[in-house]
Amino acid sequence: MVAALLAYALLYASPYGLRVLTVAGVYALAAIGFQIVFGLGGALSLAHGAFFGLGAYATGILGSQWGWGFAATFPVSLLVPLLLALLVGLPVLRLESHYFALATLGIAQVVHLLAVNSPALTGGANGLPGVPGIVLFGWAVPRGLPLAAVVWGFVALGGLLAWRLARGRWGRALTLVRDDPLAAGTLGLDVGGLRLAAFALSAVYAGAAGALAVHTQRVVSPEVLEFPVMVSVLTIAVVGGRGRVAGAILGAVLLLHLPEWFRFLERSYLIVYGVALLATIVLAPHGLTGLLDRLFPARPAPLPKPEAPSGLAIANGPLLRVEGLTKGFGGVRAVDGVSLTLKAGTITGLIGPNGSGKTTLVNLISGLETPDGGRVLMGSADLAGQRPDRIARAGIARTFQAVSLPEGASVLAAVAAARLERDGSIAQAEAHALWALERLGAADLAAKPCAGLPAALRRRVELARALARQPAVLLLDEPAAGLTDGEKAELAGHLRAIAATGTALLVVEHDMGFLLPLAGHVLCLDQGRPLYEGPPEGVRSDPAVVAAYLGEGAR
Amino acid sequence: MITLQLLVNGLALGAAYALVALGFVLVLNATAAVNFAQGDLVMAGGLLGVALAPHLPGYLPLPGLLLLPVVLVLMAGLGLLLAVAAYLPLRRRPPVAVFISTIAAGIILQNGASVLFGPEPRAAPPLLGGGTLDLGGLVVAEQSLAIIAVAALLIAGQQWLFGRTQLGRRLRATAQDPEMARACGVPVTAMILITFALGTAFAGAAGLLLANRYFVTPTAGGDLILKAYIAVTIGGWGSVPGAVAGALLIALFEVGVSSVLSYPVALGLLYATLLVILVARPQGLFGEAARRRA
Repeated sequence: MVAALLAYALLYASPYGLRVLTVAGVYALAAIGFQIVFGLGGALSLAHGAFFGLGAYATGILGSQWGWGFAATFPVSLLVPLLLALLVGLPVLRLESHYFALATLGIAQVVHLLAVNSPALTGGANGLPGVPGIVLFGWAVPRGLPLAAVVWGFVALGGLLAWRLARGRWGRALTLVRDDPLAAGTLGLDVGGLRLAAFALSAVYAGAAGALAVHTQRVVSPEVLEFPVMVSVLTIAVVGGRGRVAGAILGAVLLLHLPEWFRFLERSYLIVYGVALLATIVLAPHGLTGLLDRLFPARPAPLPKPEAPSGLAIANGPLLRVEGLTKGFGGVRAVDGVSLTLKAGTITGLIGPNGSGKTTLVNLISGLETPDGGRVLMGSADLAGQRPDRIARAGIARTFQAVSLPEGASVLAAVAAARLERDGSIAQAEAHALWALERLGAADLAAKPCAGLPAALRRRVELARALARQPAVLLLDEPAAGLTDGEKAELAGHLRAIAATGTALLVVEHDMGFLLPLAGHVLCLDQGRPLYEGPPEGVRSDPAVVAAYLGEGAR
Repeated sequence: MITLQLLVNGLALGAAYALVALGFVLVLNATAAVNFAQGDLVMAGGLLGVALAPHLPGYLPLPGLLLLPVVLVLMAGLGLLLAVAAYLPLRRRPPVAVFISTIAAGIILQNGASVLFGPEPRAAPPLLGGGTLDLGGLVVAEQSLAIIAVAALLIAGQQWLFGRTQLGRRLRATAQDPEMARACGVPVTAMILITFALGTAFAGAAGLLLANRYFVTPTAGGDLILKAYIAVTIGGWGSVPGAVAGALLIALFEVGVSSVLSYPVALGLLYATLLVILVARPQGLFGEAARRRA
C-alpha cells in the first residue's frame, strides 16, 4: 500500500491530485487518533472534530495574527486540544456510552458557537486568511509534492507510534476496557486512567491534523469545527476498520478520493459517506482491513513457553478480614453487617437463598459496589470503598457468575490480560498466562478464540485468568454453575490445589453436594444477614438454614 | 404582558420539541437504541411540508392542517425504512453499531435534502393562518396556538394508544422487556417497526410545526437531536412524561434567555447546563427510568 501511494504521488499525481492526497494525509492523521479513543477505547467521542478545529484555530490565529512560525504554532496546536481533553475528560469519561457521545457532541457545539461568535479572536464566520506555510528547520515547504511528503511524514510518524501502542500492553489493556470495563477493573487495570489517556492522546492527533489542514488551506474558518469533519473521521475509521492504524490510512485515502468519482453531487458528497458508513456497519463491521484479514488470514503466532510468575509470598493465617459490611439499594438492605475471615490455604463456602446478598458481598469486597459501612481489611489496609483496580492490586481476584470473556480475543490473550498491569511485555504476560492455563489442564485451549467456547470451558478460562493474577484471596461466584458432575469433580480438585498453594478461597455456590465436602468453613446469608457460620457438617442440620431454604413450614 | 407572550412562544416551541423528544424516547425504550437521526427526521418532515404545499389545490382552506396527516403517513413510512435499513440488521450488535448506523442515516437525509432543496432556509405554510389573535391585550400568533393544540392532541393520542389499547399494551411490553414479550407471544419485531413509524411520524409533525415560524434548513437536525437528547436526559433517560417536561423546560429556557441576551448565548448556556447535569446528576433531574440492559 505504501509503495502504491508513493508511486502514485511521484509519477502520476497532478497538482490537484497531490492536494487531495495531502488532505487525505491530514484526515488519516486525525483518524489514527480517533482509532485510539474509539477503535481501541470504545468511546464514541464526537468531540474529535472540535479537537481538530482547535488545533486548526491555534495555528491559524497564532500564525496569521501573531506572526508565529511553524516551530511554535505546531506544539501549541497539540497542547490546546490536549488541555481541553484533560479538562473535560475527567468528568465526561465516567459517563456511559450514549451520554459520553452526547456530552462530547455538546462540547463540539459549544466550541463551534464560541468560534463563530468571537469575531475579534477568530474572525467570526469569515475566519482568518493569511496563515503561513510550514517551515521546517529554515526550509519553507512549498505546495505540491513537498507539502504532501511532509504531511505524510507526520502520518508515518503518528501511525508508527499508534501502531506500537496498539500492539503493546497499553493497547491490549485499552481493548479490554472497551470490551469489558468491569472485568478490566478487577484485573488491576485503571479503567478511568486508561480512558483518559486515550482521549487525551486522540486529541493530540486531532490537533496535529487540524494544524496541518490549516497549513494546507492557508485559511482557517468555522468549517474546521463543523460536523462534516467529524463525520468524515468517523466514516474513515469505520470503513477502514475499527481500531486499526492501517484502516485509518486506507479509509482516508479511499474516502478523500470518493467525492472525485461522484463530482455530480458537488458539495453533497457526504451522501456517499453516509451510504458507505451505513453499508460498512451493516455488511462488514470490521471494515476493509477486517475483510482483508479474512481473505488473507495471519498465521497464528507460536505459543510461548509457559513460565511460572515469580510468586508473591502469601502469609499464613488470616489474609482478609471483613467487618460489619453493609450495603443498601433503595430501601433494601442487600448486605447487612456481614463479617468473615478468610485464612490462607482455606476454602470458605458462601451460601444462601437467591437474593440473600452473596453476589453483592463479593462485589463489595472486590470494589464493584461501594459499601455503606464496614471494613475490608487486608493486613492493616482498609480496602472498603477503594477502586476495583486498587483492590485487585492488593491481591484479591474474582470470577463472575455470568462469565464474560472478550469475544474477539484468543483464550491466551484473554488470560494474559490479567498480567498486563504487572508484566513488562506481552510475551511475558502470555508465558505467565499459559502457565495458569496449564495448571488447570487447559493449555490446549490457548490458541482457540473465546467466542464459541462451551460454558464449562469458559468458566475454566475465567478461573485461569483470575489465577494468573496469583491472588492471595480468590473470590469465586458460582464456579460450578452449569457444569456436569464430572466437570464439578475436576473443578473441586483444581480448587483444592489452588488452596494448597496458600491462596484463601471464597466460593459462592448453590450445589451443596459440590461445596460442603470442599469447604472447611461455611457462611450462610439470608436477606443480607449472617444466618449460620461454622463447619460444613452443621449446615444441613441447622434449623434456621433449613427454614431459609425450604420456607418456615418445612421445619 | 411581554412575559406572557414569551411564555406562549416558549410553550409553542416546547410543544414541538416535546414531539421530537417523545419520538426519540419511544424508540429508545422499544429498542434500547439511540436514534441519532431523529433531528434530521424533523428536518425531513419540515421540508416535506415545504415540498407538498404547492401541490395542494389553492381553493382549500387551512393548507398546513391538511398537510399534517399526509406528512404523518409519509414520515411513518420513512420510519419503517429507517428501522429496516439501520436498526433490524444490527439488533444483536453492541449499541454503538446503531449509533453509527443512525448517524449515517442522518448524513444521508441531511445531504439528500441539500441536493434537493439547496442550503437556504424554507418556510412551510402555517397550520391555520399567519395572523395574530388579540386575547384581551395579549397578542399571540395563531400559529403558536395551533402548534400547542396539534402537539397536545398528538401526545394525548399517543397516551391513549399506549394506555388504553391492546396494541399499546403490546408496545409497552416490548419496551419493558423484549425477551419476555416475545415469550408471551407479542410480535416484537412488528412492535419495534410500529414504534419507529410512530417516533418518525412525530418527528415529521414537529418538523411541519416548526418549519413555519422558525424555517427549516438541511443542517437543522444537529441542534434538534441535541435538544431532544437534552430533554430526555433532563427528564430521566427513558421516561415518557419526563421527556415532554424536559422539552418544555428547555424551550422556555431558550426563549427566555434569547429575549434577554441572544440565541447563540441561549444555545451555549443550554449545552453548558447539559454538561453540568450530565456530570453532576447523570440520572437526570427526575431519576432514570430505563433500566440497564446488559
